[in-house]
Amino acid sequence: MHSINKLILFFSLAFLMSCGADFLNQAPRAALTQGSFPATPEDAVFATNAAYNSLRAWQINTGGFPLLDMMADDAIKGSNPGDGTAIAVYDKFEHTPTEGSTERWYKTLYEAIRRTNLVINELPNIDMEILLRERLIAECRFLRAYYYSQLVRGFGDVPKVIEVDPPLDLNRAPASEILNEIIFPDLEAAIAILPERSEYGSDELGRVTKGAAGALLSRIKLFTSDFQRVEDLTKEIIESSEYDLVDDFEEIFTAAGEHNIESIFEISAKPDWFVDGGNQYGNTQGVRGSPNKGWGFCRPAYPLLAEYLSNDDPRMEPSVLFLNEIIDGINIAGEGATPDTIFDNGSIAEIECYNQKVWYPGTDSRTSFGHNKRVIRYADVLLMHAEALNENGKTAEALTYLNQVRARARGNNANVLPAITSTNQEVVRDAILLERKFEFALEGLRFWDLVRTGNAEEVLGPLGFRANKNEFFPIPQSEIDISQGRITQNPGY
Amino acid sequence: MTNCLKPILLILLLFASIVISGQNVYSGKVLDTETNETLIGVNILVKNSTQGSISAVDGTYQINANQGDTLSFSYIGYQTIELVLSASVINDIFLTTDASLLEEVVVVGYGTIKKSDLTGAVASVKSEDILKVPASNAMQALQGKVSGLQILSTSGDPGAAPVVRLRGITTLNNNNPIAVIDGVISDIGAVARLNPNDIASMEVLKDASAIAIYGSRGAGGVIIVTTKKGTKGKPQVQVSVETAVESANGKIDVMDGREFATYINGVTPGTYNNLDLLSDTDWQDLIFEKNQPITNANFSVSGGSETSDYYFGLGYFNQVGILPKSGLERYSAKINSGYNLTDNIKIGIDLSLFLTDKDNAPGVINTALRAWPIDVPYQEDGETYAEVNGGNPLAAIDFTNSNTRAFGGIGNLYASIDFLNYFTFKSSVQLDMIESKSKSFSPQYFVGPLQANDLSDLSYSTSNNNTVIFENTVAFNNEFGKHGFNAIVGYSTQDTRNEFLSGSTEGLLREDELFWYINAGQADFANVSNSGGRNTLISYLGRVNYSYDSRYLFTTSFRRDGSSRFGENNRYGNFPSFAVGWNVSNESFFSNEKINRLKLRGSWGIVGNEKIGNGQFALIVPGVNAVFGENEAINPGVTFQGGGNPNIKWEETVQTNFGIDLGVWDDKLTAELDYYIKNTNDILVSLEPIGYTGIGSFQTIVFNAANVTNSGFEWNVNYRDKIGQFTYGVGVLGTTIKNEVTNIGQGLGADSLIVGGDLGNGQQVARTAVGSPIGFFYGYEVIGVLQNQADIESSPTLFGQNPGDLKYRDVNNDGVINALDRTIIGKSIPDLIFGFNLNIGYQNFSISADFQGQLGNDIYNGKQVIRFTTLNYEDKFNDFWSGDGSTNDDPRPSLGGNNFLPSSYYIEDGSFLRLRTLTLNYSLDNRLLKRLKLASTNIYLRATNLFTATKFTGYSPEIGIGNATNGAIDRGVYPITKAFSAGFNVNF
Repeated sequence: MHSINKLILFFSLAFLMSCGADFLNQAPRAALTQGSFPATPEDAVFATNAAYNSLRAWQINTGGFPLLDMMADDAIKGSNPGDGTAIAVYDKFEHTPTEGSTERWYKTLYEAIRRTNLVINELPNIDMEILLRERLIAECRFLRAYYYSQLVRGFGDVPKVIEVDPPLDLNRAPASEILNEIIFPDLEAAIAILPERSEYGSDELGRVTKGAAGALLSRIKLFTSDFQRVEDLTKEIIESSEYDLVDDFEEIFTAAGEHNIESIFEISAKPDWFVDGGNQYGNTQGVRGSPNKGWGFCRPAYPLLAEYLSNDDPRMEPSVLFLNEIIDGINIAGEGATPDTIFDNGSIAEIECYNQKVWYPGTDSRTSFGHNKRVIRYADVLLMHAEALNENGKTAEALTYLNQVRARARGNNANVLPAITSTNQEVVRDAILLERKFEFALEGLRFWDLVRTGNAEEVLGPLGFRANKNEFFPIPQSEIDISQGRITQNPGY
Repeated sequence: MTNCLKPILLILLLFASIVISGQNVYSGKVLDTETNETLIGVNILVKNSTQGSISAVDGTYQINANQGDTLSFSYIGYQTIELVLSASVINDIFLTTDASLLEEVVVVGYGTIKKSDLTGAVASVKSEDILKVPASNAMQALQGKVSGLQILSTSGDPGAAPVVRLRGITTLNNNNPIAVIDGVISDIGAVARLNPNDIASMEVLKDASAIAIYGSRGAGGVIIVTTKKGTKGKPQVQVSVETAVESANGKIDVMDGREFATYINGVTPGTYNNLDLLSDTDWQDLIFEKNQPITNANFSVSGGSETSDYYFGLGYFNQVGILPKSGLERYSAKINSGYNLTDNIKIGIDLSLFLTDKDNAPGVINTALRAWPIDVPYQEDGETYAEVNGGNPLAAIDFTNSNTRAFGGIGNLYASIDFLNYFTFKSSVQLDMIESKSKSFSPQYFVGPLQANDLSDLSYSTSNNNTVIFENTVAFNNEFGKHGFNAIVGYSTQDTRNEFLSGSTEGLLREDELFWYINAGQADFANVSNSGGRNTLISYLGRVNYSYDSRYLFTTSFRRDGSSRFGENNRYGNFPSFAVGWNVSNESFFSNEKINRLKLRGSWGIVGNEKIGNGQFALIVPGVNAVFGENEAINPGVTFQGGGNPNIKWEETVQTNFGIDLGVWDDKLTAELDYYIKNTNDILVSLEPIGYTGIGSFQTIVFNAANVTNSGFEWNVNYRDKIGQFTYGVGVLGTTIKNEVTNIGQGLGADSLIVGGDLGNGQQVARTAVGSPIGFFYGYEVIGVLQNQADIESSPTLFGQNPGDLKYRDVNNDGVINALDRTIIGKSIPDLIFGFNLNIGYQNFSISADFQGQLGNDIYNGKQVIRFTTLNYEDKFNDFWSGDGSTNDDPRPSLGGNNFLPSSYYIEDGSFLRLRTLTLNYSLDNRLLKRLKLASTNIYLRATNLFTATKFTGYSPEIGIGNATNGAIDRGVYPITKAFSAGFNVNF
């Protein structure tokens, strides 16, 4: 039987057909593996871009929600009373180490830091144009400093990670060590190497700059009261002529005002979902109900509105979206489940209104992802400069910069926001802090301003803030549990 | 592959030549020597020809043969008789039972073995038990049937896979047993794709002696599925039809409108001033349909000749589901055929094909439990969906359209050659493939801000997964005097590849089904995604069974596996086993009149687990983009996605087993008793590494991180007897499980704790730590309710606690309650899993009841923990504390806060006893069958899940533990159902 012979032959062949050693080497598909990237000049750019990607990550923004603003006196939790009860605790400083937002924030910051470490550690091994390599590393050092600056301000002492795969037995490093060994040197290097904004091509807009590095370093130096360095850094930015105030405060946050002359560090985003270039920061604070832009969290606090009103501050209207306001041709109707007004003992406690600074034209959720978060504005540089001058005993000089900001806010209405004339250091100190409150309301700066100036207990105490505890967020409980307590908890939690 | 196709053609050719004619017709009758009863289904064959017949219901047969031919009469359990045709008439044939032939044969890995020679712990479930449950998946039929096997039907969603665990929880990652279907190694999910009607038996391999031949894949146990084959004789046709109706097995008690408003008023007085004006919507009533049909129809034809056998099966299963837009429809086809090419060469094919169409249930169960009862489904016009706090479940159902169609098959093409008398070489190419396509569509809608879809959207994905195994074995089988040998060696390679392609778009031109294609969407939003993977295995295997005089038994097996899932340094693992058995009852000194069978067994071996994904690599992926430039352009970014561990190595389970098999009073009473102990070392487990490693939130890495011990007793005791025309049988089986983690943290520095059980709200309620069972619940222990300010001042409390809050135990006695006072508050692994069954027969009627249950496990009620917004509460919260002394059991009303911390308040007892099936069967009377010209027919009525005794408040206490480290958390599941069915089986 001929076929049977063939069959036997087939079996014999089959049995002999052993597999080569490569048979068991199966790399993953459609992905590189650690050790093989970055290898080329293109890889270097790609790896750097990925470090920017984290800027748009939802979790980077204090765990998805602007918790810092909710904790400060310029915003409340927002949305309707039944919504987001899990984060309502931050509004009252009742948050615990197990609340998920904090954990998301902390872990995603370290994820972002890992992306920067990959570039900083691996690019020196790539054969490529030196200037570009230096710049890309400097960009990532800026970003690493920015991410670490959130960690040290948010959590205090944190593990110091400068490698892609850190040891698993790290302890918390003192915040001072993070500052002195990572944040400050990274930013000084970025200042030295990064181009000015005008030196980038128009298709690179949004990459970090020398000016941004100086401004960020100033912001962090305020926490260590290194006012001389702040004075110098801000002076350099002012003298660079790269930036100026936008004439009309109202224009700063419009879609047309993206990357305006005042913008020093801004996170570019497209009106689309995250994977397609969007940023959910605007969406979480977007108008609830109609137009259906967002979740409605982090709404302007009523006392802030009252203060704006009592000062006739023209910045209120551009900062707050009120019900029935028409913006970009769209009527703000709000949400039924959110009470228009909530009373407490007969007086108004809150009204339904939204953060206009994150408004992006459109009527749906997707477009609300298009808001570019303005992280550092030139107005901040001016006020930091004023603060540094005042602290360095140059109060009269400080007034120039403080009043520059007030003048812009005043616009054409000469009857409001008179220039500050006092040369009393303490009066000016208070004036600057207050100016920052109104100028930067809902921009995520107020809480840390109060903490670093030692005013948090006085201002936020009535809202539940407890000194020596709430200056920092709790370290996520999972971090303590996994390390079996080697990673310690912040005091009070 | 062309070489493999020729034998098939050959089979077909030879098959066609079976048609033979032009002989004499002989007829007669076959009877039992002892009882004089007629024997049905006796195989009658003309020796050395393809001619055959089978005896009918009255024992009669007809066969074409020539004078001088030899007829053989064979019947299972009877001695075969051969008769030379010397006359034109044949007398009645009397067959005599043959005790030695009655010996049960058990299927084991890569072979079969006489049950008396078995040294391992193997349980066998036959076809009739497999068909007892109106489910699409044969695994569900094993519930309560095999000691040591825990099967939980965790969901009533048509086609939902049950969770299967053998002898405790062996590893911290994938604990699923593997399924070996007609010799093809696959995952347990493959059983779901088979038609239970085509299954002849399922064998559960439990100890290392039985499992170790499957080496790296045996740690979770092995379930061998053997499908039906044809037997010699004329075609046998079977038709069976079953229809059932099913309904939700009860509801979860949640607050009605008035109760909810009262509770909220307790939080914020005056929120609802007139409770009489409030609506009261029972969302569960609105979403669940009652008496939904299940249809199961099967047809098969089988038969064979001296040189060939065949079985063809067709099946149709349709379960509509109690939730709208869920459901499963399955078509299955089965071909098993073998052909002897020569005296020593056989080829054959075993192939199962399936086509499933599953509507994926809308995820609204939790929504219905949480939607406010004071909200209504529709606006005043009666048709527009109203915004509902917690989400409108009816709208969610309406706007969900999700369907998965899958096609695939599992099977093997084999050829075997017998040589040198005792050897058989077998080579097979085995295939396991599945191709599936999923489509989901949501229209544009706006119900409320949190329930809205700005643009209609569509996603479509297709994936395929195929495995090719090439296996070659040489078997040896012989007896030399009192020495019996049965051995096998083999070599196999396995190659698994998978790939998916998916796309999505938004803003479809129109919303009806004709437009559910990517091309109907706005191109701007079209998205496409495609990736794949491949993993490979090389294996060497061998086993020797030796028996001396049927008294002393010895088995050893060995397998060496190399897997691509491990790095080069740790690629291969060795998995040996040894076992001994002693048939005490075969000893000459053993002369106990009552005990007819007594065997002692002992085994030891090592098995592995390689179901770990491809975790060795830290992947670097594109798509992590940035936005730059005046035109806000996407700039490509590439970086890490999670982390990897290049040093992972094999995890090993060392298992020891001692067993006793006993038969008393001529096997009226049988018992199998086992004690097992399993130590699993170097467990591969996905851990969320410490956060600063920066692999991202909720990302895990695989480590060899833990050791776990499982031990327990198993018993399976059956008694059956007859009193006059009554027959009855009772079976009791069970397993105890003691699960303990003995080590965590090798190579991980100080980390020696796994935190799991994430509730999605930042709370994690499960832990795995040394000295405790895997995935125990961890939180505060509630010891009462703080009654008043004085109580607070005199008790240790959490910061900010008020009267009416839960009083937690100060575990470390330091006078305050804080995170250090959290403790073990429950465990998910039961102490005892049991089943028992009763059978009573009287004449043509029989009734059987199958019970199953478990004891000693807890369930965390994850449905009631702190949620992101105010949602409806379960009934228990109605008993809230309302003032000093009102209650010491339940806290004051609150929307969140300290009463919702992980605590024993949310732990419920998961023990249960369930009447799984109750069946009333009637077999048609022989005289009637004769008139109808049928071989055998039975009609039955059956109730499934008729009764459950449990304290658990959720839909069903069968909460599955996917990842053991998460514990059993009830997050709201598709309820399991109660079903009533009627069916019949007819054999021609």
